[in-house]
Amino acid sequence: MHLKLFVLSASSVVLWLAPLTALDKTLDIHKALQGVSLTAAIACAVTAGNIARELSEQGEIEAIKTRAITADVIDEISTSAYISQQQRQQEAELILASPGVDVEESRKAQEAIYSNNLQDYTSASEHPDYPIYLEVCKSREAGKSTTWIVENILKMGGRKFSDGKVKLQTLLNQFEE
Amino acid sequence: MRAMYLANYFVAGCIAFSLLGWVASLHPYAFRAVLCVLAAIAIGWGLSWLLDFSLSKLLKISVADLQALLIGGLAMLLIGLGVFLCT
Repeated sequence: MHLKLFVLSASSVVLWLAPLTALDKTLDIHKALQGVSLTAAIACAVTAGNIARELSEQGEIEAIKTRAITADVIDEISTSAYISQQQRQQEAELILASPGVDVEESRKAQEAIYSNNLQDYTSASEHPDYPIYLEVCKSREAGKSTTWIVENILKMGGRKFSDGKVKLQTLLNQFEE
Repeated sequence: MRAMYLANYFVAGCIAFSLLGWVASLHPYAFRAVLCVLAAIAIGWGLSWLLDFSLSKLLKISVADLQALLIGGLAMLLIGLGVFLCT
C-alpha cells in the first residue's frame, strides 16, 4: 500500500511537470498530450491522497487501541496494588487496635486469619479449638458479654484480657467463615 | 501519513489550476471562460474571508481550519498557474 502511494505521488508530480517543460505548446499533438497528462496527474494525486488518508485513519485507530490497552493494564495493576494495600492496612489496624498485646503474636494471629490454616484439617470439628468455639457460641446465645466469655471460657482475665479478646476474635473468624 | 495526504491533495489542486491554464490556452473563448471562472473563484474567496465565522459553523470546521484552506487554495492557484505560465 505504501509503495502504491509513493509511486502514485511521484507519478502525479512527473505527469504534471514533465509534459509542460518538455513539450512544445504550439504543436497541436503536444498540446493534446499535455492535457491528457495533466488529467492523469490529477487522477494520480487524488488517488494517492485517498490512500494516504485511509492509512492515516488506520494509524489513528491503532494508536487509540494501543492507548486503551495501556490504560487497561495500568488500571489492573493499580487495582491489585490498592487491594493488597488495603488488606495490609486492615491487618495493621487490627494489630494496633489491641494495645499491650505482643505484636508478634498479633501478627501470627492475623496470618492465621488470611492463610488457609483451616484447610490442614479435614473438618472444622477436628480442630483443637472447636470445643472452645462451641462453648463460646453457647455463651453468646445465653446473652453473655464478651468480657465474661474472655474471662470465664478462655480463662484470660486480668493482664491477659487484651490477648484474650484477640484470641476470641481469631476463633470466631476461623469457624464462622 | 496525514502530511502525505494533505500534500497529495495540495498537488492535485495545483495540477487542476495548471489544467485550467491549459484550457485557457486552447482558444480565445476558452480563455474568457477561464477568466470568468477565476473571477468567480476570486469573489468566492473574498466572501469566504468576510464570512469566515458563519462559514465555519456551516461547514462544521474551526475558523483556523477554514482560513488555512483559503490560504492553501490561493497557494494552489499561484503555484498551478505559475508553473503553467513559466514553462
